[in-house]
Amino acid sequence: MPQLRKLHLSNADGRDATVLFAPLKTDKPPRKGLPGGGDVTFRRYLAAGEKGLHSALQAKLGDDYGQALVDGDPEIDLEKVGREIGSTNVVQLSASGEVLYAAPQVVEVLLGPDGEEKERRAPLDTPANVNDELPIRWTGRQMPRADVVRRFLLSRSMQVQHVDGLSFDYLFAMAKQLHDADAMVLVGAGPKGRDPLVFQVNGSPYRGFLEGRVDGERYLLLLHLSNMELKRPAETT
Amino acid sequence: MAARQIVLSFKGAQSAFGFSKLDRSKLYGRRMRQLLDSEGHACSRAALTADGSTLITAGMTAQGYFDNEGRMVSTRELVGLDEQGNTLDPVPSTLGVAQEARLVDASQVSDTRVHAVYMLEPEDLDPQLHDVLRDGQILGFQFNYRADFKAESAFVVLNDEGLFALIGKPVQYTWSELDTLPPIDEGEDTEDDDSLDFGMF
Repeated sequence: MPQLRKLHLSNADGRDATVLFAPLKTDKPPRKGLPGGGDVTFRRYLAAGEKGLHSALQAKLGDDYGQALVDGDPEIDLEKVGREIGSTNVVQLSASGEVLYAAPQVVEVLLGPDGEEKERRAPLDTPANVNDELPIRWTGRQMPRADVVRRFLLSRSMQVQHVDGLSFDYLFAMAKQLHDADAMVLVGAGPKGRDPLVFQVNGSPYRGFLEGRVDGERYLLLLHLSNMELKRPAETT
Repeated sequence: MAARQIVLSFKGAQSAFGFSKLDRSKLYGRRMRQLLDSEGHACSRAALTADGSTLITAGMTAQGYFDNEGRMVSTRELVGLDEQGNTLDPVPSTLGVAQEARLVDASQVSDTRVHAVYMLEPEDLDPQLHDVLRDGQILGFQFNYRADFKAESAFVVLNDEGLFALIGKPVQYTWSELDTLPPIDEGEDTEDDDSLDFGMF
């Protein structure tokens, strides 16, 4: 089934409707193989056991254990090395290397552009807001298409689609309006359309740019997402 | 020409640029979630095999390609294959090699999923190329950081902050029509960025 999700969207006149959207995909890269078309598979495998790691070898043989590796291959665990790794479960280890059986404490760390820690605090949950009670709204910011792509990194794109004849007319008109203006409109969430778009709980916030194209009786309405301006970091300006 | 340059040929004249990668953490910083054990020390992540027999920590794994007989295949032996299993011609790196630049429409950029942005430093800038960029036009070219089997789409833009190269892959879409919903591929809606801060605007 196509991965279609609901989007509560309003138009330039503030009329809202619930429609669908799906992320746009790119071509898959060419598959890798052998000359002549032979297949290969990509696998992860165990390259060392716990006793073959540097810390374990150092504890057992001392700091200078190079010759011991040559003489006796102590780093190779014949029972484990080379075994393919299939499905695994993620576990968390304490600082002493023990598996945690109770939920760890979670903190949110804010780092500045220089990588320095600026703040440490309890994490805040961010709810999704694209299929909320309040629709995604058009802001007053409509920009020529060329200006948008020169100022913002459009890192993801969604295709907005109708669910029935009525919403076809609704989205077609929206696409045509933007097509005729050769512009994209900045859209946002919240009561005034100023909040960034969040597509899932604690998902990344994005600014949304709606782009429309029409071709005869068909339309294309794209919601481009951006979380970065095209500008230089402060130290290189 | 130095190897680590983006070199463009536009209307017969060449321009060369040094480049460095730009990501949002360099502009806005980033936010990350850290897990702490009962002593308040940072936890580390590990994997437990499905049968529970092996705890896999950093440094214990390796990966590679294997043929149907289970023989490990070196990357030098690998080739790219098309859908019919035919061998594709390798595409060399474009770095240091002049690429034909052409004027493109803004929609070609918005039809590209950009995954890398480079800040460009002009080292040899043709005035003609500079003029079209200053006029707000966009240049497209082929880009391949390292040799593989498919070049990527790339664009040069100029704004008040400077010159940038956008690197990505074209997206696929189907026009929306009254009678049909576009056939959109099934796929994972992956979130590739856990950071929550947002400094722009």
